[in-house]
Amino acid sequence: MDELELIPPAIAGPPPAGGFWREVWRHFRRRKLAMLALSFVVFLCLVALFAPMIAGTKPIICKYKGRIYFPCMGYYVRSWENPIFRQDRMLHHYPTRLKELDPKSWAMWPLVYQDPYWRVRDNEWPGRPGNPWGINGKPSRLNWFGTDQQGFDVFAQMVHGTQIALSVGFVSMGIASVIGITVGALAGYLGGWVDMLLSRIIELVMCIPSLVLILALVAMLDNVTNYHLMAIVGITSWTGIARLARAEFLKLKQMEFVTAARAMGASWPRIVFLHVLRNALAPVLVPITFGIAAAILVESGLSYLGFGASPPNPSWGTLLKAGRSAIEQMWWLILFPGLAIFLTVLAYNLIGEALQEATDPRLRQVT
Amino acid sequence: MLNYIIRRVALGLLTLLLITFVVYALIRHMPGTPLTLDMANMDPRMMPSQEEIDRMNRLYGLDKPWYEAYFIWLKNVVQLDFGRSIPQNNEPVLNLILERMPATLLLSVTSLFLTYLLSIPIGLWSTVRSGTFAERAASTLLYMLYSLPAFVAALYLQLLFYSKLGWLPLFGMHSDNYETLSTAGKAWDLLKHSILPIVCFTYGSLAYDSRFIRANMQEVIRQDYIRTARAKGVPPGRVIWHHAFRNTLIPLVTLFGLTLPHLLSGAVILEQIFAWPGMGRLYFEAIGQRDYDTIMGLTLMFSVLTLLGQLLADLLYAVVDPRVTYQ
Repeated sequence: MDELELIPPAIAGPPPAGGFWREVWRHFRRRKLAMLALSFVVFLCLVALFAPMIAGTKPIICKYKGRIYFPCMGYYVRSWENPIFRQDRMLHHYPTRLKELDPKSWAMWPLVYQDPYWRVRDNEWPGRPGNPWGINGKPSRLNWFGTDQQGFDVFAQMVHGTQIALSVGFVSMGIASVIGITVGALAGYLGGWVDMLLSRIIELVMCIPSLVLILALVAMLDNVTNYHLMAIVGITSWTGIARLARAEFLKLKQMEFVTAARAMGASWPRIVFLHVLRNALAPVLVPITFGIAAAILVESGLSYLGFGASPPNPSWGTLLKAGRSAIEQMWWLILFPGLAIFLTVLAYNLIGEALQEATDPRLRQVT
Repeated sequence: MLNYIIRRVALGLLTLLLITFVVYALIRHMPGTPLTLDMANMDPRMMPSQEEIDRMNRLYGLDKPWYEAYFIWLKNVVQLDFGRSIPQNNEPVLNLILERMPATLLLSVTSLFLTYLLSIPIGLWSTVRSGTFAERAASTLLYMLYSLPAFVAALYLQLLFYSKLGWLPLFGMHSDNYETLSTAGKAWDLLKHSILPIVCFTYGSLAYDSRFIRANMQEVIRQDYIRTARAKGVPPGRVIWHHAFRNTLIPLVTLFGLTLPHLLSGAVILEQIFAWPGMGRLYFEAIGQRDYDTIMGLTLMFSVLTLLGQLLADLLYAVVDPRVTYQ
């Protein structure tokens, strides 16, 4: 595309008609703010993915007793930390114990030596003071965003909390869009009593106060994990997608290509999910993007109210909750996580809006 | 028209029945009952015996399976008996709700009033000044406000006005010495306590509505009749207000109908942050205490308002747009 733009239009003629998504991308790219938002989300994804390498107390990679290990993997899944380190009682003492037990060992450390689940103690890292806690935990050179009441580093918690915020957004909206698109597609395409029934169900779920639904479901679980929250948010937030998908399918099923497919003898599931869905996907993508922002809000709101995942849960909402209880002294517990939530929601809203304009030709002409 | 209303109401009643049924099933499946949760806070030596518990369960109808209990609840509601709150000393649910209603209404009505009072001028202003630097700055600011979650804003405002500046109280609706104050002092006290909650209730819908008005105006202002009006020499103010704005009323009216339930629903997280004794907080407390009748009473009220709001929006549609008729 870029090379083509260099050639004067008289020679190049009209640009080749790209696919629909290519066209969308071309329009999306024009909006600077949306691109900024997109790069922010990509940045957050990278932070989430590499969280243990950004902030942690386990080496990213180390050579220990003649073998190479990746202890930081333990932050993703407990058992990915090699058992040899537990045998050697390495936890929280990696910097000193590594040298002590194997003088020839070497290690590469995370960018910030701080732990979301643990207060760094005096001389844990040789010559480095431990984390202050409570009102002494102001942002400092060692604790960029301060520490909380227990002395856990806020920056480390926020970096690891990014994983929660993003995965809750993506997974719950994934669940919601599967339910929503299926229900909406069936209602819109099949019509008749199926539509009647499914529309009533959509209305029903819309009218049930989502907080009751969420709190009731959370209360039924003994040990709430973030996976539970994702599922719960997913099964409570599909109605908007379903309504839009239904409207889109109602419109598209009148199109000629559907008649053509039917004339060729395609079965209705094939028509619905192969032919119509491809064309209905673009408008449905918009509420999904806004839904991700909403899901992140729900998760942090629930954590704020104390109904989030069971501790330890370094969610942004949990930090806000800790900050609320010490609002007179510990401002840093509110300022930084609040900013993270705000910027993430803002970014998703900007992306959603740009997508809306890029996928809807009617809006495109206007701007 | 009447026919349409009757059909809608009938359908609404069916939906209502389903909603209450599902919510009842859900809350009865939450672990614990109002009695067991109450006992958790009791002195172990004062624990009632098993017979006593059974007697109380029978008394409150908690021994029956939930579907049976639901129909008993439904029968009572049809007779306008909304039940009693077990954890709140058997206070009738209706009294509890009426007691909390003014606090929520104070916030929601003020905020609704402020929203429309401000968003219409802002929306019109940004249409007229479209593209200027001031308009773009204002639009960006409004967009950011729209994305700012209310509970984050609430915490930030508390941080600023309570912790840093010390101008406003942190939470609650009254100061401790409220009873001793003069009438003017009471009003001042209430005002000081309600500023932050009202701001948090308002700014989101203000941002949303003024963007909404602007978007609709942008569409209308390109119409031929606007150009005609301008061409025949109608003053610009009149074109905007009389010719353009009136034609954006339809979506605005729909929006108004959909905000109706929010007048009473309050906001759980905001009321929690400001310890504001409103409906949202009552809801939250009721869920925590497994206060079945209160949850059901509130759910019923919100669902009725939601459905009514939708109906009202559709009917107002016909009022503002003569082309719309319901057969």
